[in-house]
Amino acid sequence: MKILGRLLWVGVAAAAAIALGAIAFLRGEHINSLWLVVAAVCSYAVGYRFYGKFIAARVMALDDRRATPAERLRNGHDFEPTNRWIVLGHHFAAIAGPGPLVGPVLAAQFGYLPGTLWIIIGAVLGGAVQDFVILFASIRRDGKSLGQMAREEIGTLGGFTALAAVLMIMVILLAVVALVVVNALRGSPWGTFTIAATMPIALLMGLYLRYWRPGRVLEGSLLGLVLVMTSIFAGRAVAANPALAPIFTISAMGLAIAIILYGFLASALPVWLLLAPRDYLSTFVKLGVVGMLGLGILFVHPELQLPAFTRFVDGTGPVFAGKVFPFCFITIACGAVSGFHSLISSGTTPKLIAKETHACPVGYGSMLAESFVAIMAMVAACVLHPGVYFAVNSPAGVVGANPGAAVATISSWGFPVTVPEMAALARNVGESSLFARTGGAPSLALGMAQIFARSGGGQAMVGFWYHFAIMFEALFILTILDAGTRVGRFMLQDLLGHISKPLGRTSWMPGVFATTAMVVAAWGYFLVQGVRDPLGGINSLWPLFGISNQLLATIALCIGTTILLKMHGRRFLWITCLPLAWLVTVTFSAAWQKIFSPIPAIGFLAQADKLEAALATAGAAGAATTRAVIFNARLDAAICAVLLVMVTAILADSIRVWAGILRGTREARVMESPFVPSELRPEEL
Amino acid sequence: MSRLRRAIGILWAVLRELADESAYQRYLQRHGRAHCGAEWRRFSEERLRAKYARAKCC
Repeated sequence: MKILGRLLWVGVAAAAAIALGAIAFLRGEHINSLWLVVAAVCSYAVGYRFYGKFIAARVMALDDRRATPAERLRNGHDFEPTNRWIVLGHHFAAIAGPGPLVGPVLAAQFGYLPGTLWIIIGAVLGGAVQDFVILFASIRRDGKSLGQMAREEIGTLGGFTALAAVLMIMVILLAVVALVVVNALRGSPWGTFTIAATMPIALLMGLYLRYWRPGRVLEGSLLGLVLVMTSIFAGRAVAANPALAPIFTISAMGLAIAIILYGFLASALPVWLLLAPRDYLSTFVKLGVVGMLGLGILFVHPELQLPAFTRFVDGTGPVFAGKVFPFCFITIACGAVSGFHSLISSGTTPKLIAKETHACPVGYGSMLAESFVAIMAMVAACVLHPGVYFAVNSPAGVVGANPGAAVATISSWGFPVTVPEMAALARNVGESSLFARTGGAPSLALGMAQIFARSGGGQAMVGFWYHFAIMFEALFILTILDAGTRVGRFMLQDLLGHISKPLGRTSWMPGVFATTAMVVAAWGYFLVQGVRDPLGGINSLWPLFGISNQLLATIALCIGTTILLKMHGRRFLWITCLPLAWLVTVTFSAAWQKIFSPIPAIGFLAQADKLEAALATAGAAGAATTRAVIFNARLDAAICAVLLVMVTAILADSIRVWAGILRGTREARVMESPFVPSELRPEEL
Repeated sequence: MSRLRRAIGILWAVLRELADESAYQRYLQRHGRAHCGAEWRRFSEERLRAKYARAKCC
């Protein structure tokens, strides 16, 4: 039996190696998406079985005889020992957001290979390790948060940097995801109607769950799902109606203003009325769609149309500017390594883990599952013809504002596409145009629609599936906007409460409105900046988001390294130091290039200088807009500089702590809660 | 067959956990109370306040 087991693992490892070899070396023909699926699944299996289990057994020495915080501090609310598969589902639903879907679609401009390799290798050696180590650390420390652990293990600076990084990520994240929605819905009456309909549907669900059928959340969510599906069908009729279509045909700036107003109102409303019901609905839709996409890819196993590499690895890409290194590695954060996960791993999850060994499938395993979501997004983007992919994702400022100019530019890159081809595609999905739909969501929706339509319904259903995919993306993006604004408001109130006591009170409505307005103004500013940006906004905002997310991962891995150092000395440092060194290199390079690159499309300062020069030679026409773009470029450069300083500070502080421990001048006490034997019975799980 | 039943059971339990229905059952058991609208609202308010004080992942 043992020999059979070993042979099986040799077979899985060989399949991973062959599939990775195939996607890396097969050239000159379209490769099938199943190669990516096999490469990913077999690599994850080997990574989990050998690396994850090695860390669990040898490094963390997970011990099921030790009571977890869920058992010791059990209170029926936060702390509750829960079945490991339920915690896994809960954790996966919490970490899976728009990041692993949008990032790979954008990075597909380099071809499928760089992003795919980074998603697989990054997740196995970096992302899953980070999530697992932080989850373990939090379990052994009574479910403490990342900020608390940063303060205890590294110092006050670490704690403060973690807090500041979270705030910065939140503001940039909210702006960038709002921009993704704006770009997906701009000039699309069908999409706008469907998304607008989700709001009264969520309100109805809120009332249903509170007053009509209290506590029947699954029932209410099913009702919401039926109504949302109906609204997608109704959206087609609205788009075809000459009286209604203009009402729902809104410009990018109009949508941005609507989303800013929505963000303000939604985060000031009681959570049970809008946020919570929509969150329930979006969670179930998200899990369902991810499952459907996985089955669809297996069933259809489409061929990838994008090549392994495109010419844009040299940094001249239209989707976003910058070479494959470092920009591929900050564009795909969630899906490979995401610092934000460390907040979840040190949030709800450690308080639900019943046995220490469950941390491996939950921490390490969930990240691998999210990484697979990113692989599916990569497949969905790469099944599009390259010309179509670039026509959808390239901003008008790069390829030209009219369709003729856009197809000429894109075809000149070696990716032929025609105006009639794009017009037919737009007609098929019920849109007036698909040119310059930047942000990743529309091209992901197109790819998903093709896969779903080929799985069932045929071409007649492509329009429905396209808008279903847009609805799915917008639904949880709006939930993130609403919840993020609320959390930002709490953080701000907490801070301002030190200056003025009433401002800190969450029940004082003027304070609530004032702080909500401040948070909305912060992300709203960047959203408007993105809408006005001649390069489409994604070019400047997504790298900022990626850099700030990887900064948080740097903090998490510094904490992990400190803990491993205290537990084992130098012996296992490489486990966290390897991904840490890579992330620091990537974050530094990307941030440095975004500030100082002499190429205006990459460097914020170079862009500002170029526009300044143009302003001096041009007349007054458009001067105010250009000045605003110049100011924004300099502001983005300043934000990048702050992120760079924060990475330097947290790293320097950590190195100081590590050197002290290694020299023996600093106490290396492991700050775990004392051992208490577990008394949980198997039937309690 | 029993494995399939178990898998469906786990999936159902995950959905109930995500819907906060299991947490509500635990709340009722812990406090020795019976389900009613007011009880759900009390539970839900406390639960949602804690839930939405934390950032949602990207």
